[in-house]
Amino acid sequence: MTRGRSGSPMLLGATVLAVAALALVRAASAAAADSPAPPAKLPLGVSPVLYEISVPAGSEPTSDKAKLGEKLFNDKRLSLDGTVACATCHLPDKGFVDHKPQAVGIKQQRGQRNSPTVLNAMFNATQFWDGRAPSLEEQAKLPILNPIEMGQKSPDDVVAKLRGLPEYTEQFQKVFGHDLTYDDVAAAIAAFERTQYSASSPFDRFIHGDERAIDASARRGWSLFNGKGRCNNCHAFSIVNPNFTDQKFHNIGIAAHKTDFISLARKASNVVRGGDLKQIDELAIETDFSELGRFLVTKHVNDIGGFKTPTLRNIAVTGPYMHDGSLTTLWDVMDHYNKGGVQNPYLDGGMQRLGLTEPEIDDMVAFLASLTDERYAAFAKQEMERQRGQKDRRPERDTAAAMGKKGNFGDLAPNPDLKDPAKIGVLVRGF
Amino acid sequence: MGVKSIETRHHEERDAFFAGLRRLSRRSFVKLAGISAGAALARGVVWPHGFQLVEVAGADVGGAEPGGKGRPSFTFAYISDTHLYPRKLNDRFVRAILKAVDDVNSLDPQPDFVFFGGDLAQLGQTDELDLGNEILKTIKAPVKMMVGEHDWFFDMGEHWRGLFGPPQYSFDHKGVHFVTIMSVQEKDFWTARGMTPMQRMLTVAGLDNGLQSRFEVGEEGRRWLEDDLKKVDPKTPVVVFSHSPLYKYYRAWNFWTEDADEVQAILKRFDTVTVIHGHTHQLLTNHIGNISFHGMLSTAWPWPYAPEGLPKLTVQMNRADPFNQFDGCGDGTFGVSEGGLVDALYNLWDRNPVTVRASYVTSNGAKDAPPATKLASY
Amino acid sequence: MSRTSKVLLVSLPLLVLGGVTIARSGSQTPQHQLPESRDGNVVVGLCDGKTTAEIPGVKPGETPTREQAQAVSDTLMAEWRRKNPDAHWDDPSVKLAQAETGGAPGGAATGSEAPSGAAQPPPPHAPDAAAPETQEGHTYGAFTDRDQQIWQAATDRFVAEGKRIFHSADLLGGTIGVSCDMCHPDAANTHPETYPKFQVQFGRVALLRDMINWCIENPVRGKPLHDDDDRLKALEAYIIASRKGVPLDYGKH
Repeated sequence: MTRGRSGSPMLLGATVLAVAALALVRAASAAAADSPAPPAKLPLGVSPVLYEISVPAGSEPTSDKAKLGEKLFNDKRLSLDGTVACATCHLPDKGFVDHKPQAVGIKQQRGQRNSPTVLNAMFNATQFWDGRAPSLEEQAKLPILNPIEMGQKSPDDVVAKLRGLPEYTEQFQKVFGHDLTYDDVAAAIAAFERTQYSASSPFDRFIHGDERAIDASARRGWSLFNGKGRCNNCHAFSIVNPNFTDQKFHNIGIAAHKTDFISLARKASNVVRGGDLKQIDELAIETDFSELGRFLVTKHVNDIGGFKTPTLRNIAVTGPYMHDGSLTTLWDVMDHYNKGGVQNPYLDGGMQRLGLTEPEIDDMVAFLASLTDERYAAFAKQEMERQRGQKDRRPERDTAAAMGKKGNFGDLAPNPDLKDPAKIGVLVRGF
Repeated sequence: MGVKSIETRHHEERDAFFAGLRRLSRRSFVKLAGISAGAALARGVVWPHGFQLVEVAGADVGGAEPGGKGRPSFTFAYISDTHLYPRKLNDRFVRAILKAVDDVNSLDPQPDFVFFGGDLAQLGQTDELDLGNEILKTIKAPVKMMVGEHDWFFDMGEHWRGLFGPPQYSFDHKGVHFVTIMSVQEKDFWTARGMTPMQRMLTVAGLDNGLQSRFEVGEEGRRWLEDDLKKVDPKTPVVVFSHSPLYKYYRAWNFWTEDADEVQAILKRFDTVTVIHGHTHQLLTNHIGNISFHGMLSTAWPWPYAPEGLPKLTVQMNRADPFNQFDGCGDGTFGVSEGGLVDALYNLWDRNPVTVRASYVTSNGAKDAPPATKLASY
Repeated sequence: MSRTSKVLLVSLPLLVLGGVTIARSGSQTPQHQLPESRDGNVVVGLCDGKTTAEIPGVKPGETPTREQAQAVSDTLMAEWRRKNPDAHWDDPSVKLAQAETGGAPGGAATGSEAPSGAAQPPPPHAPDAAAPETQEGHTYGAFTDRDQQIWQAATDRFVAEGKRIFHSADLLGGTIGVSCDMCHPDAANTHPETYPKFQVQFGRVALLRDMINWCIENPVRGKPLHDDDDRLKALEAYIIASRKGVPLDYGKH
């Protein structure tokens, strides 16, 4: 475990790095015709290095494009019957999610997957729980055309509908310089999404040197996160890559609640046409094959039931959790991991029982709550109270398994000596 | 979440079985056998399994051509190098061997037999060997055993022989002559040093201490082998099971058989010979003269590739991630063709399986190469 | 007769006589005990009272040839210089070269008298250039063989302790009977030369000792070691020692 003794040298180093990276970003965008794209000042906790990597040169959001995108994002008319907008499932005020286990589209049809947040989605290496869309643009195109979500039959339909709306014709001409196309629609929405970076959390202040920014419970939670909890392997955090995700796909057993993988995988292998994004999208949203996760995209045996590690930022305000929204509170999430996930033949080998006690679980939840952007602070408080109110309902909890009294779901290291925090890497700082 | 999936039910039964292992007594065990994996399978519950998807992925084994165009004449599976400690000390290795047992029990179609590649126990203790024995009894298919050095050098094989019989034997199966030899004999290094049995065992258990003698089949073993093979026609395919590699890979780690040349000479007169060995805990392939060599995976932990001596034919497996106890470990199947050629399927846990075909080995790497590694040893 | 030969002729009998004389004289002065030659050859002793050499084929009373004399003198001097590396002893061979070119004892300073094709004698201070003077009067770097022996022993001992811990689950504090050498025989696959690097197991940049502690906690199931723990340092030492000579390549995966 990293043991940063003092904040200052590392903070200095991080700042230097940040400034250098920002300078690079600025230089790259100097040629942009419109208003300068990369924000002059990224909020505390957003990584300029990651920004540069995630925002390809030439697609930096200009304010006009982003405004157009925001308008489209909130426009129900994009859907077949005018009832569903992007914002319907990705409510900006509510953490850009809908707080339902699975998204509900036009005609009250329910999909298979939980709506991920748009916050920091720009920093994802791929989009969707199974990574089927390689970019924000590609992602934006699919729900509009999905029969269960926004129901449009084809890109031409969408274009025709929008071209019929005078306010859009003019704006698209202004921003793109030609009659609107479906690609333009996606580009505008993506531009808006590229303004939705989010950090500025108490944890960010803590990691940048303010010891008091998070309470003792959350600090203990942070050290458990990096130690006994084994979280930092997939929910990796570093100053350069600060979104608590490795962007890889892991089977942690959520899908195993419901499914007979083998026959499903066999069937899927015959059905899935590699590279056909639209077909995979439909299978993922509409059918049982959804539970196969990443396997639908790669057809690798090892990817069966695997889903992308999501960000933990703003996790307090983006429940319910997991790809199918099956875990309602953060305590349920902790219970799931504590017992080693749900056993299934493709369970990621890193999943093991954790032996966390109740106070330790509380500490970890406190830490997770500290990852909330300050603009959602009030909402987070509300949410956490609501979740705490459900603490006696713990359907996922299996203490016997977690403590090793039953089953064989992994071994534990002996608890480190808590009297000397330095010994358990509590002083993990930002690098 | 009220409905339990097949997997959950399976694992609950597995848990109950495992709990029974705590109270390891013959009587309680027999009772448990009723709820073991094998019995559950007999009740018609289908175990979902990774192995089986191999067909779907198009990687067939023992066929005449890659891409699943030919079917093997027969298959057999293996579990090897389980290195069990008593469960109270270490249940990680028990978890791994149970996973392997699940793997082989859920193969469909079932293999003709399951071969155990040696090093059942870690320190040759009675309770370790007994634990392993009880677990292996839950394998549905017939099991053939081979001894490893970790099983032998505490009591010089006394308990092993009591449980599993003589360390060398042979049998014929569907036209192939199988012979299991004891290839981890060692010249006495312990008497002069005044070692206790445990000290001897600990020395043998350490790969890199250089104190133990190099493995050998030994004169007596070679004579036994010659004798056994006397009646075998040179055209009969021969498969030799050996714990040590039966060639000279890396001396310092005893990835080595001192009298390998002599043993290979005994095997020289046969048209088709395949040696299947354990001990190296890694994907390993070699071809010397008329003999193809395939290493078996361990369930307990992976070894890195040795700094020198790696056979050219070997396409390395990726380096292991220590976050995941199963990475770099696994079990496998061998498919044997009509002509006695052997394809090796490595069921690497948490990875896509890798097949090393006979055609790759016999063509000295000219065709059907297995997929390359992304992260080689260095 | 060349100067050198004169030197030899004078010194050799002196050496021999000196040796013989000392052997015969009274016991008050320190004796240089010359060992017996197995073949009955003449044994020559050096004035340091310790070093000896034989002249093979020459029996006491016989006169050695010039070559033989030179050889034994060289042997004795070489041995003495090996034992006294710090001694500032002029190298005679340069003077020999100087003498052979026939230059004036001081050597020709200017090139005006030398014909174009002839080899120039080395300048007057050439002996220093060939056996360079080393700086004295400092502390760091002024270490002797004895110092080096002690230091090497201390380092080796530290590394050996690391090796011992590396191979023992008990000493590591492991609770499941797993020791480092199970996955890293001879510390293979540890790659200490690649640190610091981004360590995927914990999602950030790490040093070797961070990874050691992580491994102790995870595969080995022991308590992580404190930064100041000697065991951690010893393990690091052993791991680094196992890759002696491998170039640094930080950041490599």
